Amino acid sequence: MPRGDDPLTNLPELLEGAKVTVAASFFAILLGTMIGTAAGVAEKSRLRPIRVLVSVYVSFFPGTPLFVQILVIYFLLPAIGLDIPRFTTGVLALALNSGAYISQMISGAITAIPDGQLQAARALAMPRRKIWRRIIVPQAFRLILPPLTVEFSSLVKNSAFLSVIGVVELTRTGQQIISVSFQPTQTWVVVAMMYFVMCFVIGLMARRMERATSAQAFR
Amino acid sequence: MFDFSAIEFGWPFFLRGVIATALFCIIATVVGLILGTIVALGRVSKRRLMRGLSLAFVEPFRNTPFLVQAFLIYFGLAQMGLSLSATLAGVIILSLFSAAMFAEGIRGGILSVPKGQLEAARAVGIPYLTAMRRIVFPQTISYMIPVITNLTIGLIKESAALSVISVPELTMAGQIVVGETFRPIEAYVSIAILYWLLTAGVVRAFLAIQRYLSHRQAAAVKALSASGLSLATPQLK
Repeated sequence: MPRGDDPLTNLPELLEGAKVTVAASFFAILLGTMIGTAAGVAEKSRLRPIRVLVSVYVSFFPGTPLFVQILVIYFLLPAIGLDIPRFTTGVLALALNSGAYISQMISGAITAIPDGQLQAARALAMPRRKIWRRIIVPQAFRLILPPLTVEFSSLVKNSAFLSVIGVVELTRTGQQIISVSFQPTQTWVVVAMMYFVMCFVIGLMARRMERATSAQAFR
Repeated sequence: MFDFSAIEFGWPFFLRGVIATALFCIIATVVGLILGTIVALGRVSKRRLMRGLSLAFVEPFRNTPFLVQAFLIYFGLAQMGLSLSATLAGVIILSLFSAAMFAEGIRGGILSVPKGQLEAARAVGIPYLTAMRRIVFPQTISYMIPVITNLTIGLIKESAALSVISVPELTMAGQIVVGETFRPIEAYVSIAILYWLLTAGVVRAFLAIQRYLSHRQAAAVKALSASGLSLATPQLK
């Protein structure tokens, strides 16, 4: 529980909140990558209903606010009989949102793989499934690593919305401290600085990765 | 299970919410374009101080959650004795955020024009700002339209967060209807669809603008070649 008026005396609580923020973002990017990869591959499916389903997904999620998505999912899950913890609900909402963006990265990366590789694989009589698993997906994944890192920093920022469904992450911790200390400015400055440090470091990583990947891009 | 009477009750609120959200985003887009252009000019300036100042403006907005920015500015100003109405504060917060986002987009546009263009213009004595206005910016248009589309959609989505400081926009309308009807799923699904229609509308509008511009340009190129002149500068696509 928050202690004093000075936001710095509450630093341990804020760090604890930051840990939850990072954890939520981390699980969300893992799950989001799985969903995104599945959707990105399914977009190239031969079955029309699957393609339609994917196109609704990638149109609706990036076209509506994450805040509203979180609210819908938060109220929808209990209504269909799924009683899961708030943290899990939040991660699920973040992952569904991210997955739509990641699927676009994946399908872009799939198109970037030279056709010759597929022709070669087919010429060697590789089964379709194996081509996807051994040739396309691994290379696509390497290509999307830099944008995926950028997506991770978006997730760190977006996870602030989990505060509205009562997940005690960094923003919620800030609110709790303010409700005791009545020092909104100081506390929000410290909270903002903590987000800034996290996102800035992740951004630097993304730029470094970008350079490394473009150096070994397809020739 | 899906109770349509909640939507029947809520639609006047939703309608006002859509109009408010659209107005906030239009204001923020206009401010973003103007203020963002100034900040972008600072980002590509030769002066170190200008570059530093504009970077110091942009980075905090880019690296912190919009929700936290809203809390910090709204309650920060209140604590300093400047009590703004939620609506005015919301417009200011969204516009500042928009300026930072647009600055980065416009900077990308400026950098997409070959440096030689500006150098050549300066070499023949055209003042810096005139060269920017008449030579660099017109060439960024085709690059900028998709960027502006995405940024505007981003604004529509981020503006939902303004409901937490009780700005009367679409998400707030949803919360009011939930408070009255206790039907969260109906209300939030409705506003999600409305947001989706808003963003889809923005995409359509910008596609139309893009088509109009490329038509006009094709006509200009045709007129120019008919008059026996040729374009020496790289053409817009």
